[in-house]
Amino acid sequence: MEAWSRQTGHELLQSMEEEGVYIFHFRRGGDNLTTAGRIIPRSPAPRLAWQPILALLVFAGSMTVAVWASQIGSDLSVFWLMGMAFGFVLQRSRFCFASGFRDLFLLRDGRVMKGIIAGMAVATVGFTLVMSDMLPNARLDVVAYQAHVSPLALGLVVGGLVFGLGMVLAGGCVSGSIYRMAEGYLGSWVTFVGIMTGLVVVGHTWNWWWRMDIGIAPRLWLPNLAGYGSAMAATLVALVGVYIFILWWESRGGLVVPHRPATESPADTFGDKLRQSYRAVFVHGWPATTGGLVLGALNVYLYSYEHPWRITGEISIWGNALAARIGLAQPPLLGIETLTGCTMSGSHGGLLNHMTMSTLGLFTGALVAALLAQEYKLRVPRKKVRYFQSLGGGILMGYGAGLAVGCTVGAFFSAVPSLAANGWIFAIALAGGAFLGTKALRWLP
Amino acid sequence: MTMKLDARGEICPYPMMKAVEAMRALPDGEVLEVYTDHPPCLETIPTQAERLGFDTAIEETGSPEWRITLTRKKVPKTYDTGLPTG
Repeated sequence: MEAWSRQTGHELLQSMEEEGVYIFHFRRGGDNLTTAGRIIPRSPAPRLAWQPILALLVFAGSMTVAVWASQIGSDLSVFWLMGMAFGFVLQRSRFCFASGFRDLFLLRDGRVMKGIIAGMAVATVGFTLVMSDMLPNARLDVVAYQAHVSPLALGLVVGGLVFGLGMVLAGGCVSGSIYRMAEGYLGSWVTFVGIMTGLVVVGHTWNWWWRMDIGIAPRLWLPNLAGYGSAMAATLVALVGVYIFILWWESRGGLVVPHRPATESPADTFGDKLRQSYRAVFVHGWPATTGGLVLGALNVYLYSYEHPWRITGEISIWGNALAARIGLAQPPLLGIETLTGCTMSGSHGGLLNHMTMSTLGLFTGALVAALLAQEYKLRVPRKKVRYFQSLGGGILMGYGAGLAVGCTVGAFFSAVPSLAANGWIFAIALAGGAFLGTKALRWLP
Repeated sequence: MTMKLDARGEICPYPMMKAVEAMRALPDGEVLEVYTDHPPCLETIPTQAERLGFDTAIEETGSPEWRITLTRKKVPKTYDTGLPTG
């Protein structure tokens, strides 16, 4: 090493051995240089101790909200706590539907998409049990209560394309933007304003879409055709098929580095082991598949309370309440009462309802998770063009989610397990939109 | 020599795209350091680095910021460091 540093003029500052790998630190001309053969364990380096303390305070506050909500009644506190769980898991696993689609094209990397598929597989089995309990005979011409079945309209395809493009431009979909708002990303707040705006705009054009397209389009709920067993089996086989396709797709792009659990020093004492377990859950990021599986299971639990996971219906209510204040209230929406899922009338009409609680809970849960991991930071976009991307991407997502009756959560992650054909069509359109988005990214600085 | 790429404030996919651009342009024998405050990069950059023949070392430099050090796998013979080349 001395010979090397003499040759290059680097001053050897420090060398250490960690798990059999030598790590050298050099300095030359103000440049610090570290060289090592593999990942250096995340050291308990300078961290902000106030963040976990604030996390506990926010958590205590959220429990007060839960008690308050339980007194208002009708399961509101369940939805608040479930929302918090969703937010916590999204933040911990850095779960991002936008990257799930985008990275397939940009990187030929299916890491996140495989997690999404795993989550939907779990939810498919769970949803089938919940639905067959609510509606034992699926061959009748009715759909299980609150299953996310929506018309197979041109609007669904246009909505998916527009949403897919928007989420890549904005760097996150609706759920991703909400948990990043909690992590301190200023751009995600701008995205959220865009989403609300897009949902108000689509509300004003909805009746045209309904008359021309959505209102006359058929709906297809697979159990109506073949019963629950066959519909579930077909959905699972299709998910496995897509999984295998992604493996092939990845293999054409070269090797993919699997999620490496952060290495820690060997644990000796009970205290060490406890500390490492704590860090594995609350500090280090989870693998995407773990996140997907937990989100899928949480979604089943939410459906057992008659509301699969959904977000945008409620955001449109908030947006319209604001728009009404400046005289831009949307007209009565045609046919909206015949739809289920993320309709722009929301779950129960009012501002304070189940899914509002779950969406606010999502933000709060993500905030607790980010603070505990000391990953909260006010992140200001470096370039002005990013603000326009966030706003424009948000507007596109809002408009697309209105047309498709949901976002990546309601119209995809909850629709495929609902055994609804629209979930698959939306997914294909999303992929198309994300592909267009990766092309558009190359034109931007 | 160390090239530094400050990608703080940028979100996906920009830090990864810029890191790939920089790795492709990196002269032999130089090391690339990427600074980021966007956690998903800790997953995406190592995969792209591996594909381009770089070793990855991740260090936490603050809360929450990381330095990702990317080193070409094949160490030129004159620089015989005795390190495992992974």
